[in-house]
Amino acid sequence: MDLARRMFMGQLARLAAGASLVPLATVAEAAINDQPPRRGGDPTKRYAMLIDLRRCIGCQACTVSCHLENDAPLGKFRTIVSQYEVDDPETGDMSTFFLPRLCNHCDNPPCVPVCPVQATYQQEDGIVVVDAERCVGCAYCVQACPYDARFINDKTQTADKCTFCTHRLEAGLLPACVESCVGGARIIGDLNDPESTIARMIAEHRDELQVLQPEKGTLPHVFYLGMDERFVDRPEAFASIWEIRGTDNEELHYEFSGH
Amino acid sequence: MNSAVIEILAPRYQIAWYPWAVQYFFMIALAYASLWLALPGLLGARRWKATARYALLGAMTTAIVAPIALLADLHQPLRFWHFYAYFTPWSWMSIGSLMLPPFVFAIIALAWLVWREPMLAWRTRDDMTGLIARIATLGGWQTPRFAVVALALFAAVMSFAIAIYTGSEVAILKGRPLWNTQWLLPFFAATGFIGAAGLVLVLNRFTGARDADTDRNMLMVVVAAAVVTALVALAWALEGIFVEDSSVAAAIQSVRHSAEWRSTAIWSLSIGASMTLVSFLLVWRNGARIWGWIIGLVALHLAWMARWNVLMDVQTVQKQTAGYLEYVVGWGSSGWLGVIGTFGLWIALLLVIDMFVPWKQALDGPADAPAEKTDISAKGVPSHG
Ligand code: SF4
Ligand code: SF4
Repeated sequence: MDLARRMFMGQLARLAAGASLVPLATVAEAAINDQPPRRGGDPTKRYAMLIDLRRCIGCQACTVSCHLENDAPLGKFRTIVSQYEVDDPETGDMSTFFLPRLCNHCDNPPCVPVCPVQATYQQEDGIVVVDAERCVGCAYCVQACPYDARFINDKTQTADKCTFCTHRLEAGLLPACVESCVGGARIIGDLNDPESTIARMIAEHRDELQVLQPEKGTLPHVFYLGMDERFVDRPEAFASIWEIRGTDNEELHYEFSGH
Repeated sequence: MNSAVIEILAPRYQIAWYPWAVQYFFMIALAYASLWLALPGLLGARRWKATARYALLGAMTTAIVAPIALLADLHQPLRFWHFYAYFTPWSWMSIGSLMLPPFVFAIIALAWLVWREPMLAWRTRDDMTGLIARIATLGGWQTPRFAVVALALFAAVMSFAIAIYTGSEVAILKGRPLWNTQWLLPFFAATGFIGAAGLVLVLNRFTGARDADTDRNMLMVVVAAAVVTALVALAWALEGIFVEDSSVAAAIQSVRHSAEWRSTAIWSLSIGASMTLVSFLLVWRNGARIWGWIIGLVALHLAWMARWNVLMDVQTVQKQTAGYLEYVVGWGSSGWLGVIGTFGLWIALLLVIDMFVPWKQALDGPADAPAEKTDISAKGVPSHG
């Protein structure tokens, strides 16, 4: 990505982070692929997450705790931390960048209107969930999400994704990833409550916040502080490890799949 | 200044639509395009009657196999009734689930109306075919002509709905920039016509009659559909030059960094161009009778490959992580077994119909001609005899 484009994207990401905070009118329209009305959840709240990248050390504690909490199948993740090595050609320095990824609980979630049986829906508190009893496993929503936040769970054969750990929120607990975050980088809270930590941090850092792939118009509700603009979109990067292979060139990680 | 970025440990996001999806999009496109090829003959055009016989057989069999492939692509196929219990008018897939049954049933009913006419003569036979003819014709009445015309027109209207929904369903997905273009609709339709004309050419060769008008008609359809496909591709590319962040940008990105994508693009382009050129030469120099069926097989291959490239290969482009998914088609039911299974089912269906239905005599076809024996040839085309 050249510099001009990078700067443009960065500005867009910032603008979009601002735009994401203006609640989208949720009036239902009849047009195809428009957002249907939200249902369930607490209508007084709007959950969101702020990730302070300056505090993330890339330890993957969130990845592991989420995996255990939500019983995700091996090799598929509701949240994962992307780890990048950035080579600075001017100084010759090598730096690292960590980017926790999860469902953005978008305000204009493209995964919702595509679902042919309304199994995927957005709660009034903004959390996007899947009704696994109703889901037919068509994977249409998996295709629709630009963030790879969804997958088909091999165990249930239905769509699976981050739910902000609604089951824990309802019990007054923090999501597993927030609870386990070593650096305290993940902050979850109610945007509608001006006294909440997240609302205060957003007010304070409003101009610096960025969201992922803002040009898609999804209005993500996971905000990043300390974001490097190069990573807002799919970064131009080389994948260093695809899979771990043994000496016989077989993939190793399936060895553990029977655990 | 660009700096080198390495993604350490890039997770592999698996594909979510399996080769079943390719089978569905292939079969359903053959179904609606074949129906259109059958229309002139069904409505009375004399030189298209033989074509209509083959095209109707093609439309009917593919329309039956397509929904089965679609069902198999669901991870929870037994929950298909949820589509009807929770109709969702804002979802293209849900709309499609409402369009599909009337389309399929209209084509089946149309074929039944057309085929029961010659079947009436079989009612007096005392073997298995006679028994089936007595049951399947539902009485000795003559098929009213207006019913054929009305049903053909209804099926044609439904086929529009099918073409629009199958294209839009994929084209609206912003999550995959390569799909996110309205040009996908005409692309699917035009390549569908290439495939359907190819199918008719192959059926014409291997079911014995080898009608000369049909060969000519179909080669011209192949040429026309290939030209339309090329224009659609051109329009898409032009849009890419003028509109930023289009699916063209994503396509170039894919081709630039991947040898496989490059060879796919070159392969499709060269096969498509040679097929068009040869078809044109065959019509011009009257070689259709001998070589038409080979063009038919190439056309089927192209129509299928187009869907494989669009639906499968695009899924290997990662959405936000580096690199490509190295997707290897497995042997299980969500891989080659599914592909072969659908084709097997289709051929079995063709054989059963050929055995019990006098479809060749429909639409003023030649009266009970002795069947010509041919071998099963490449791609498992059904033999007759
Ligand atoms: S990140 Fe993906 S799964 Fe989550 S709400 Fe947005 S589109 Fe849907
Ligand atoms: S996979 Fe399930 S949740 Fe996703 S679109 Fe299909 S039915 Fe809806």
